[in-house]
Amino acid sequence: MSRIEHFQYDNRIVRAFGVASFIWGLVGMLVGLIMALQLIYPNLNFSAYGIPFFSFGRLRPLHTNAVIFAFVGNGLFMGVYYSLQRLLKVRMFSDFLSWAHFYLWQLVILGAAFTLPLGMTTSSEYAELIWPLDLLITVVWVLFGINMFGAILKRRETHLYVAIWFYIATWVTVAILHIVRSFELPYSLTASYPLFAGVQDALVQWWYGHNAVAFFLTTPYLGVMYYFLPKAANRPVYSYKLSIIHFWALIFIYIWAGPHHLLYSSLPDWVQSLGTVFSVMLIAPSWGGMLNGLLTLRGAWDRVRQDPVLKFMVVAVTAYGMATFEGPMLSIKTVNAISHFTDWTIAHVHVGALGWNGFLTFGMLYWLWPRMYKTTLFSTNLANIHFWLGTLGIVFYAVPLYWAGWTQYFMWREFTPEGTLAWGNFLDTVLQILPMYAIRAVGGLLYFVGVCIGVYNLFKTAAQGSFMANEAAEATAPERRVVPLAPGEHWHKWIEGRPMQMLLWSTILIAIGGIVQIVPMVFIESQVPKIASVKPYTPLELTGRDIYIREGCVGCHSQQIRPFRAETERYGEYSKSGEYIYDRPFLWGSKRTGPDLARQGGKYPDSWHYNHMIEPRTMSPGSIMPQYPMLAENKLDLSLLPKKINALRSLGHPYPKHFEDIAVTEAHKQAKAIAQNLKEQGVEDEGMEQTEMMAMIAYLQRLGTDIKAQKTATK
Amino acid sequence: MYKYLLQSIEGIAWFGTAALLIFFVVFCVALWRAFSSHNDEMQYMAEMPLKD
Repeated sequence: MSRIEHFQYDNRIVRAFGVASFIWGLVGMLVGLIMALQLIYPNLNFSAYGIPFFSFGRLRPLHTNAVIFAFVGNGLFMGVYYSLQRLLKVRMFSDFLSWAHFYLWQLVILGAAFTLPLGMTTSSEYAELIWPLDLLITVVWVLFGINMFGAILKRRETHLYVAIWFYIATWVTVAILHIVRSFELPYSLTASYPLFAGVQDALVQWWYGHNAVAFFLTTPYLGVMYYFLPKAANRPVYSYKLSIIHFWALIFIYIWAGPHHLLYSSLPDWVQSLGTVFSVMLIAPSWGGMLNGLLTLRGAWDRVRQDPVLKFMVVAVTAYGMATFEGPMLSIKTVNAISHFTDWTIAHVHVGALGWNGFLTFGMLYWLWPRMYKTTLFSTNLANIHFWLGTLGIVFYAVPLYWAGWTQYFMWREFTPEGTLAWGNFLDTVLQILPMYAIRAVGGLLYFVGVCIGVYNLFKTAAQGSFMANEAAEATAPERRVVPLAPGEHWHKWIEGRPMQMLLWSTILIAIGGIVQIVPMVFIESQVPKIASVKPYTPLELTGRDIYIREGCVGCHSQQIRPFRAETERYGEYSKSGEYIYDRPFLWGSKRTGPDLARQGGKYPDSWHYNHMIEPRTMSPGSIMPQYPMLAENKLDLSLLPKKINALRSLGHPYPKHFEDIAVTEAHKQAKAIAQNLKEQGVEDEGMEQTEMMAMIAYLQRLGTDIKAQKTATK
Repeated sequence: MYKYLLQSIEGIAWFGTAALLIFFVVFCVALWRAFSSHNDEMQYMAEMPLKD
């Protein structure tokens, strides 16, 4: 005889994550808006006034981390904590763990907000945080996992609804992604070098990066969509069968898509092809999710007209469909040849981020707040205004960037009838798209204003209501934890009642893709043909490279020349994988706001670089690059050089024994030589050889100079 | 530590083939069983969010 148990759902933790989500959302989007304006008004970098913290290159990871991990991260925790309790009819496993999760996650974010503007970064996209924060993230994720799985094991509803499978897959995969991407060797309290170098680093990075999109931005949000959309529409999901099929397909296929970020790069062809094929296949399970969401509203479309929550959710799911069609298209090599390194990629990202993640978060917030405060939404009018501002914002954001992307493509590849580049000066292609950048900033502003209105609406809603910290609930205590299949019962019910098996099988499936793509790359020497003339960086060049990373130059400058005639004409010999074996981390970049620098070495005299770094517009009139006058003033800090050399040597760089003892002297020697060069070229500043500028010039002048003509030799 | 932990792996093509086959089989099974499932069970699961 089963008895009725009375318990309470924890709403406080849901509210906490919700508040954190919209506050960090405001911060992250404001940073994005500032960056959009910096592209049009380079003075807004403030580096001209000697302030290094807010330049575009340093702000970029702050923006991406804030919107992904702080805004969406807290949003997904809000959705998970609310829905998991109610779907399983159980309170979270431990209130202490709930709050430990909450506060430690905010601590990670504060750590990011502090370290990233200081230039402490690994430069790996969406994994920029330094190693102590990586450790903290691991702790938080484990606590979250214990809390979540503890609740699952204590559940009163024995069947696991589809949202729960998505949460399980999310937890497992993010854990694996984070661990593998964080394989690094620290050489100081705030810095490390990655285990992988060059091509392998690139592959691991984009296996990670795309799956961060898949398992942090997609699967948990599909999970919350499967809960909140039916709740808001008061109708069951369109097809449960479809959710079964698309779940398994999605988690398997998504993992392989990473190489689509590396098409036409020096990544081996077979890996690129795998990435393309699986990315295209991914349309099916992604659209399965979209269709399930939209078709749930069959017969309820009139309610969408009246209810802002449903409006946000419909646009969110539609944007999800658009982004998951566009993404596979961009993964086709011919299309990617057009889009890669252009603003089309940025447009694509933001359709998904602003549309799917942003709007679904707002839909959840607008639905949750009145319920948790036992009142109605303060103003439906304001919510509708937010909706329209946001939607217009997305359009004004994406469309100009589509235009800019195509403009870049056409201009970069255009040849004159005589066979030379029509737009040989990269800067001309930048100036051409500045009006589009301006409209994009307007789009971002509209979206941001909408969010501000939304936050105001939520505050007023809370003020007029009374918060229900703990929500009473009751359910029958289950007699058994695991439900054996009765005759005729569906097989999937078997696994729905067995969360541990679900966990195990999800892990196996997602691991397969990673192992197949990464293991051969790591273990097989022949995957990266070596080039005999490629040598490790000198101590001064290493220092310069680390300054390049600190300033976030990789945010605007790529270092990967594709095998297209337009690129080899403009930049030089296309990039070979063997050139990057000492690049820790790799710096191929994802975007060309400025020109590719892979063969920058020897193109311009040292004095050109000196003047260009201090004020780019002296060498490139009209340039939008930030100024870096501090490089000519900051004293060169070589104290960590011995530690860097040791770390790199243990990772395989062939620095001679005891080289760390002479590294500092070597660096000073090279700096002096460069300073001498500069003097001869007419630069008359005092004390140049002591400045960071020497290191930067050394690094830039080294780029791409190791290979001579077509000579490639394997050791 | 070494840059390359092993010097060679022979014949790794089976990695990809096996993975593809596993997925194909699992997917076909999932498809078949999903379509042969009972509607009332599916209905029960689908209505779960509405029951709290």
